[in-house]
Amino acid sequence: MSKPITPSQYLAKSFGLTSNQLERVLGIAIGSRDKGAFADIYFQVGVTEGLVYDQGILKNPSRSDVSGAGVRTVIGDKTGYSYTDHVNVTNLAKAARNAATIAQHTGSVPPIQVGPDRAQHNLYPTAGILIGLPLPEKVDLLIRIDREARKFDPRIKNVTVSLSIQEETVVIVTSLGDLILDRRPLVRLGVSCLAEEGNRRETGSSSGGGRVDFEFFLEDERWKKHALKAAQEAIGLLSAVPAPAGEMTVVLGNGWPGVLIHEAVGHGLEGDFNRKGTSAFSKMMGEKVASPLCTIIDDGTVPGRRGSLNIDDEGVATGNTVLIEKGVLKGYLQDRTNGGLMRSGSTGNGRRESYRHVPMPRMTNTYLAGGESTPEEIIRSVKRGIYAVTFGGGQVDITNGDYTFSATSAILIEDGKLTSAVKGATLIGNGPKSLHNVSMVGNDMALDEGTGTCGKRGQSVPVGVGMPTIRIDGVTVGGTSR
Amino acid sequence: MNDKNRLEVLAQFIIGEARRLGASDSDVSISTWSSVDTTVRLGEVEKLESAAEGRALTVRVFLGKVMTSASTSDFRRQSLTKLVRYTITLAKAAQPDEFVGLPDKEDLAALVPDLDLYDPITAKLSVADKVTMAKACEDAARGLDPRITNSQGASFSDSHGLTVYANSQGFVGSYTGSRCSLSCSVVAQQGDSMQTDGWYNANRKLGGLGDPQVIGRIAAERVLRRLGATRGKSQDCPVVFDPVMAAQLLGQVAGVAHGGSIYRRTSFLVDKLGEQIACPELTVLDDGLIPGGLGSRPFNGEGQASRQRTFIEDGRLNGYFLDSYAARKLGTKPNGGSQSNLYIKPGTKTPEEIIASVKNGLYLTHVSGPGFNGVTGDYSRGASGIWIENGELAYPVQEITIAGNVLEMLKSIEAIGNDLEFRSSVASPTLKIGSMMIAGA
Repeated sequence: MSKPITPSQYLAKSFGLTSNQLERVLGIAIGSRDKGAFADIYFQVGVTEGLVYDQGILKNPSRSDVSGAGVRTVIGDKTGYSYTDHVNVTNLAKAARNAATIAQHTGSVPPIQVGPDRAQHNLYPTAGILIGLPLPEKVDLLIRIDREARKFDPRIKNVTVSLSIQEETVVIVTSLGDLILDRRPLVRLGVSCLAEEGNRRETGSSSGGGRVDFEFFLEDERWKKHALKAAQEAIGLLSAVPAPAGEMTVVLGNGWPGVLIHEAVGHGLEGDFNRKGTSAFSKMMGEKVASPLCTIIDDGTVPGRRGSLNIDDEGVATGNTVLIEKGVLKGYLQDRTNGGLMRSGSTGNGRRESYRHVPMPRMTNTYLAGGESTPEEIIRSVKRGIYAVTFGGGQVDITNGDYTFSATSAILIEDGKLTSAVKGATLIGNGPKSLHNVSMVGNDMALDEGTGTCGKRGQSVPVGVGMPTIRIDGVTVGGTSR
Repeated sequence: MNDKNRLEVLAQFIIGEARRLGASDSDVSISTWSSVDTTVRLGEVEKLESAAEGRALTVRVFLGKVMTSASTSDFRRQSLTKLVRYTITLAKAAQPDEFVGLPDKEDLAALVPDLDLYDPITAKLSVADKVTMAKACEDAARGLDPRITNSQGASFSDSHGLTVYANSQGFVGSYTGSRCSLSCSVVAQQGDSMQTDGWYNANRKLGGLGDPQVIGRIAAERVLRRLGATRGKSQDCPVVFDPVMAAQLLGQVAGVAHGGSIYRRTSFLVDKLGEQIACPELTVLDDGLIPGGLGSRPFNGEGQASRQRTFIEDGRLNGYFLDSYAARKLGTKPNGGSQSNLYIKPGTKTPEEIIASVKNGLYLTHVSGPGFNGVTGDYSRGASGIWIENGELAYPVQEITIAGNVLEMLKSIEAIGNDLEFRSSVASPTLKIGSMMIAGA
């Protein structure tokens, strides 16, 4: 294997930029140095290949190339930002001049804090061979998935399989002297099945992936599990009855239902909302915000995970941040700006959708740590409630703390036993209050399959969530039956 | 040469390259833009974000009945030739699909009408002008009431863009457009209750935004009325959707009326063409030709002329949104593809009259979570709003859910307001839905 390319070599090769030119651009962005400004340039070069196998046909194989850079000037809590889709020294200088105009609107402030000096990670394969893989090999897998799902039940009338393969390189240059490169692979496989019986139609879906090679889907026959899960959900829903409405005990399965943690707690603990005092969790540091069974962690360093990164999008090595320990609020997620202003430093959670966007504190892989109970014990303990395993997404109002997350299907629990399948329903709760009602935590903690995308202020980033099986009492379930 | 000519020439270059390298057909969409977002928080400039020369290009290549596509922001001719070559290689490995192809020639727009989509004034505004507007907006919100204790800021955003489409049948068209918006979001506190809310306006033209102070005041009024919200009780009752919520519901319904959902049969609107799917008073129109409309366009992404379409007429489902692929697949004619300016035809009742008609029910102002199953029409979402008692807005509620089935909801619409306003490309007046299931305390 050849020696890995250095960041400077990469910028020279891709854009013909020299280190003198980079210095000059950063110099423009910083402006007159007496204001304590911080500046960085974020370069991004990526290719995404998309394949969709739908109704028995490979549809519209597509490729999307991304290449550009954003220049940022930060002075205290003020940010100037400008990007270019056409990287050369002239356009970078222009972007830097645009970013630097923020200085006209600020007084001088103490310099921003440097990120913690952490060891570099090497969390994912960086050889860069994903896109080069011959098309037929990938299409073959999609066809196998289609067949497997249809084989599950003749009522499966359509299968849509999508595969997205992304290879991306980012280079971050900062006025603090950082010059870092990260190669980031990201693959995702999605299966959606349509089941039809009489005039009833239902869909089921399953997806997964991560910062891994294509081989990942072949290992442990993961592809087959997705096919079966999607088919099973669609068929199961054909006979589902309306979900109940009102407050009840809910048992959540392990893995993806961790979206609860992401919405109920994760967003509310992002540094920007807490610095500004707009989060329902503002000023609650050190207080009890959950049952003592709850320990919640954001970990950007789990190898190969969708939410993992070697460095965040500000060049800071990602970390493992305890947000809640045994029910007590312990930490926030910080980027350079908010961590600096709150005097705690970055936690390696400064992320952005692309070079067209300003970074902000974001989650990586956020999960509730495992407990003592077995999943069987937890289900057995419930007299009447629902057991929800498959979920869509969720949403939260940061300020009043209300969060929702939507089950796509569930099973009734009656006298400790799983009985009939019920349709999907939205679950709603209040972040700082509802986790006090977590009454049992399972010993089967798992991260999700690698499918989540989180949206905040119009920016999407890939994330992971996780959870063991848990029991929560008094959750409001938004069904239609009394 | 101006941008328009330069990009039209570039598009034709790509089509020429595709033909030269063996494609039977091809088309190219190009967009370029500039944008500035100016954010003020607590009376000071917080963020200035800009794009000077944003650009993106998508090429679709057809090799008989195989289609592949690629997009890039690298406009160098040499890179584009490489991209086209790659796309053709990809096509050679793909499979044919009998319905794939460019639109029929007679469906292409014969001329590019001027729809008044561009306002030169915003491009000439200085940062100081924009800061002044954002400040005026935030100040008006913060100054309205001492219970407004914090702010998430006010932003003025403007963008200007050029859209070019060309295909190998000889179509070349382009148009410019602009958009500006002013938004404000503030936080109010009273005792233990902390709430946030905001308001915005968006328009093609600066003159259409209205007074910044009005936007600020509405933002403040919206957040103040949420203070002290309690949980509503579980019950069946009428729900009045405010215009923002009604437009969101309309967007969800239209979202499953697109060709892809219909031919895949993953929509509750499948097999319902011509059927009564809503109350007879409901008519939904889509009009891509409204002068200055936020969703207006002289032609769509395939070069087809925009037109006025009736999506739902007197409660009957009148049509789907079909591009040429979906139309061929469904054995019918394309009708202009995706939605443009989609709206519910206003009724005669004022919102006050509608609220007054409810003895006990919910005035819905916020929903959250995905909670909508387009295949079955099942709808279950987190909600908050104002409880209506004896025809009056009585007290705020939160942490509840509303649920029903969209088909039943549309059929049980009991009133359509006269308060239609466009602040996005999907708009609706106030709607009263006869009955939904509320889950709460």
